[in-house]
Order: sequence, then structure tokens, then C-alpha cells
Amino acid sequence: MALIDLKNIHKHFMMGDEDIHALNNVNLTINEGELTSIVGTSGSGKSTLMNIIGLLDMPSEGQYFLDGINTTEMSDDDLSKYRNQKIGFVFQSFNLLPKASALKNVEMPMQYASAYNKNLSDEAIRKMALETLDKVGLSARINHLPNELSGGQRQRVAIARALVNNPKILLADEPTGALDSKTSDEILNLFGELNKQGVTVIIVTHENNVAARCRRILRMSDGHMSEETKGETTGENRV
Amino acid sequence: MIFRKILINSAEAIVENKLRSALTMLGMIIGVMAVILLVSVGTGAKRYITSEFESLGTNVILVQPGKTDKKNSMGPPVSSSKGKLTMGDVEALQKNTTSLAAISGVMFGAGVVKNEFSTNNLNILGCNDEFNRIFNMVISQGNFFSKEDEDSGRRVVILGHTIKQNLFGSGNALGQLVKVNDSEHRVIGIVRPTGDKLGFNVDDMVFIPTKSALRLFNTTNLFGIRASAKSRSSLDVAVKDMTDILKERHNGEEDFTIITQVTMMESMNTILNMLTYALGAIAFISMLVGGIGIMNIMLVSVTERTREIGIRRAVGARRSDILKQFMVEAVTISVSGGLLGILASLLVTNILFIFLPGFDMRPPFWIIPPSFFMSLFTGVAFGVWPAKKAAHIQTIDALRYE
Repeated sequence: MALIDLKNIHKHFMMGDEDIHALNNVNLTINEGELTSIVGTSGSGKSTLMNIIGLLDMPSEGQYFLDGINTTEMSDDDLSKYRNQKIGFVFQSFNLLPKASALKNVEMPMQYASAYNKNLSDEAIRKMALETLDKVGLSARINHLPNELSGGQRQRVAIARALVNNPKILLADEPTGALDSKTSDEILNLFGELNKQGVTVIIVTHENNVAARCRRILRMSDGHMSEETKGETTGENRV
Repeated sequence: MIFRKILINSAEAIVENKLRSALTMLGMIIGVMAVILLVSVGTGAKRYITSEFESLGTNVILVQPGKTDKKNSMGPPVSSSKGKLTMGDVEALQKNTTSLAAISGVMFGAGVVKNEFSTNNLNILGCNDEFNRIFNMVISQGNFFSKEDEDSGRRVVILGHTIKQNLFGSGNALGQLVKVNDSEHRVIGIVRPTGDKLGFNVDDMVFIPTKSALRLFNTTNLFGIRASAKSRSSLDVAVKDMTDILKERHNGEEDFTIITQVTMMESMNTILNMLTYALGAIAFISMLVGGIGIMNIMLVSVTERTREIGIRRAVGARRSDILKQFMVEAVTISVSGGLLGILASLLVTNILFIFLPGFDMRPPFWIIPPSFFMSLFTGVAFGVWPAKKAAHIQTIDALRYE
């Protein structure tokens, strides 16, 4: 069964007097375990698409089934729950809480998760946050504030935060946009590893070399989506 | 999110913005302090005046010659010169009422009391043998007047404490002779140190029998009549009896004024309650200002933390979680401010009490819970709008907010 199933998605909004048609009849299915990139120039609608997939924004028309559930009929609280339980976000600008340590930043999603899982004790939260930080190779810097960390390290904290609730989908919006090429490589390798462990990864990017590392590439152009499948069909996701 | 965690988050946010939180709290501290201190001033003044009245003796009735013009209730009671009270009135009241515990005609005037050591200009009060029972006077040495002293107008005198010290130092005064306005009187008693009783310092006075005083001041008209009812419940009956008897003796004319402690207290209480309410209203305004301060800061805080709100929403915070977070922050600030205000006002009033024991301004306990709940309520009332605003920020807009 498809994990993500977008059916005839339209999104338009008013910007001044202009009616912007950001998404125009987008149909898309992404199965569990896929490594997908969404590429396109700025203004092509790729961020809007990602926001809709990430339940941060609602489509104007069409239906979006996430894990078999129609999200377009969900209440705001249910959307929050789905974001918390099924989706992890990684942003270009990291979006860490500046006054909270790496550990606190990673613990935050689990604190909201404790509303759904009463067994999630403070100790369990702490333990899982530490494990996840270890997984991204940051166990030595757990008490550092974001501004005491390098860009790559910050992005690792953000990835740890995205992963800590064991989401099915990892959504990354230009995750390497603010990083140098070496650090970018490391982050992309991390995504690859996570994908191998079964996490569905979607990377929004305008950099072709980033997209090239994904087996499936979706190209956005003026609100339309087209699929670019690479010649070499190994049947596996490449990293 | 579990409430305890929200509390911790809010506490952290408050600590992260120490200066701003402290300044916001200050508004609340001042508000609560104003409420408590101003109410304390009101109740302190009331307590002071009430105790002054009560120290005069309970159930006291004052009769003054002349009728107070009741239509002109503002300003001091003005007596007409028409009405006069005499010893005859006192005797008639003594004979014909059953509701009175004690009654005395009083004569009052300035005079000189001297012996070979000291000369004192002071107030002389003429009163009979029942007077000490009306006003709870306590004699520390010797005795108060006897009925014979009064009836025969003996030249005897009872000295206030200070006057005794002036005339005789620490030596024995009983049985000694002093000159009261050049007429020799024998000292028969000393009043225990008493201090002020409604504007008169008892320690600086001397007391002689009414008849002696009338002779001394060469008059037949009393300054007034003082009496006490047998009990508080018989006060109204006593006043009615006295009015009837005096009216009959004064050809049916009510040319005198009867004041009781109750009526004095009532009018005093009306004024003092007004004062307390007025002070409370002023204090309420400062509380309001404190609340607006909290709202102001919370709105700034919401705007400043738009991105944080976006991040929290993106990782799964519900609107209600954000609402709670900002509400708890506002309430935490206001309640801590409130508690600090309560502590500060207790501290201030208790320190003042050490230096000014005469005027006890320590707050009554009943004001503490309402001030606490008022600070809580202010936090809720002024925190709810900013918190609602925070909860309804659009997540994607908030994430892009710089």
C-alpha cells in the first residue's frame, strides 16, 4: 500500500491581486522505504508540495491519503498528531530552538508525543534522545546550544529531532542548502543510511547533484509535476 | 503534552528572559503591594480609631447642651447657646432611669495646679463618683471620689500620672495639698498612666468633684453629661429614657444632643469604609496596569517567538499545547509577582510596625487570599489573548518568520 498518495492536488492562494496556482493537478504515490527527491526552480511549487505532504499546509482541492487515511478531512489536532508520530522535518535553516541545548531540542517532539503515549516517562525520553543523538554522531555535544555548533552539527541535531519519534517519513527541505559540500555529503550519507533502515526519505532540493543521489526524482515546474526515472533501474535506492 | 512539562517549559522560558520577566513581574509586585498596603492603611486606621473609641468604655452615652442641626450634617456639630444642662438634670436622670449603669455631669475647663515645687497649666475635669466606671478609668494609688466627696463638693483632687510626677516626683502624693486655681485640694488618688483618650491626654489632667468644679468655675451650667448603659442592648432604651426625661425637664424642647458610641462608630465606620474602598479602587487600577503590562510583554513574546511556535507546531504541538504554554507563562509571571508582592508588603508593614508600634498597619489576613487570586486572575485574563494569538499562528508562516 502506498504510504503517500496524492490525488488531483491543487493549491492556489492570493498574493496581492494575483491568484497563484502553486500546484496544478498533482498526482503522486510514494511507497514505504523509497528515497525520493523533488527538484525544481524556486517558485515551481516544490516547497508547497512538501508542506502539503508534511501536513503543514492543506491543499485547495484534491485528496491526500497518508498511510491510508484521508488527511484532508482531519482536524487540526489530528494533523498535529500525524506530524508528531509519522513525519520528521529537516529544514534548510535547521529551525532549532536557539535557547535550548541539542538534547532539549531532540527531546521536544517526544514531549508532545507523551500526550499520546502516557508511558513515555522523562527517563525514556532522555534515553531515546541520547540514543538518537548518538546515531547521528553527536553524543559528545548534547549540552551545546545551537549557536555553539557548526552548521553540519546543527543539521545533525535537526535530523535527530526529526527521527526521535521513529517517523515513517523524513521530509527534508533543502537540507544541504546552508552547508559546504563536504558536510553536505556527510548529511546525505546519513539520509542514505536512514533510508536503508527503512525510513521513507523525501528531499526537496534545487541542486542536481543532491537529486542525483536519489533513485526517484520528481521535477516540479509551474505547479506541474513530472517524473524523471533514471536509466539504470537497479531496483534499489541509490545513495 | 503533560501539564508538568508545560510548567517546566514555561519556567525555562521565563528564566531565559530574566530581565524581561523580572520587569513584568515588577508590575504585578507593585500592583499586589498597592492593594495590600492601601487596604492595610484603611483597616489600620479603622482599627486604630475603633480601639480609641472602645478604650473610652463601651455603651457610653454623651449628652451635650444645644441641638445639633441635623440638616447641616456636614461640618462639626454646632451647639446653640440656648440649651443648658444642670446638676438638676443629672439628678433627675439618676432617679428616673433604670437602664443606666452610671451617670455623671461633667465640668471642663483650663486651670492651674501648683504646689511649692511645680506649676502646671492643664485641663481640669469635674466629675462625680461614677465617672470612672463610664470611661474605664483605673486608679493606681488611693481611691476615686466617694459619693460623699461629690455630694458635699469636697476639695479633693485626683491627679493624672504626669501631673503627679511633676508635682511630687516619685514621692508620696496621697494626702498632700495642692492648689487648684488657688484653692487648696487634697490629693486622694492617682490615675494609672493611660495616655490619649480621644484627644485628651488623661495623664495631663486632674479630676475634681463636679460640685467643686462648678464652684471653681463659678457657674451652674454643666459642660455635658456622660453616662453608660447597662449593656449594649439597653443602649437604645437608655437613650430614649434620657431623651424623654430631659425633654420634660426642658419644657418639651429637645435643646440637647445625645450621642452614643454606637452612632459615633457608625458614622466613623461609614467614613472609614469609604476610605478603604477608595484606596482599594486605586489599588485595583495599579493591578490593572500590572495586568496590561503582562499582556504587553506576552504579545511581544509571542511575536518574538513566532518561529519557535512554528517549530513546535511542526514537530507535533497542538494549538492547545501552544495556548497552554503561553497561558502558563503569563500566569507563572503574574502569580510569582503576586506572591512576591504579598511577601514584600508583609515585610514592609512588619518593619514599619517595629518603628511605629502605635499605628499597626500590618495587613489583615483576609486580604492575602484575594490578592493572590487577583494576581492569578490577572494572569489568566491578560494572558489569554496573547496565548490565543500564539495558538492560531499559521505553522508555515511561522516557520518562515524571520
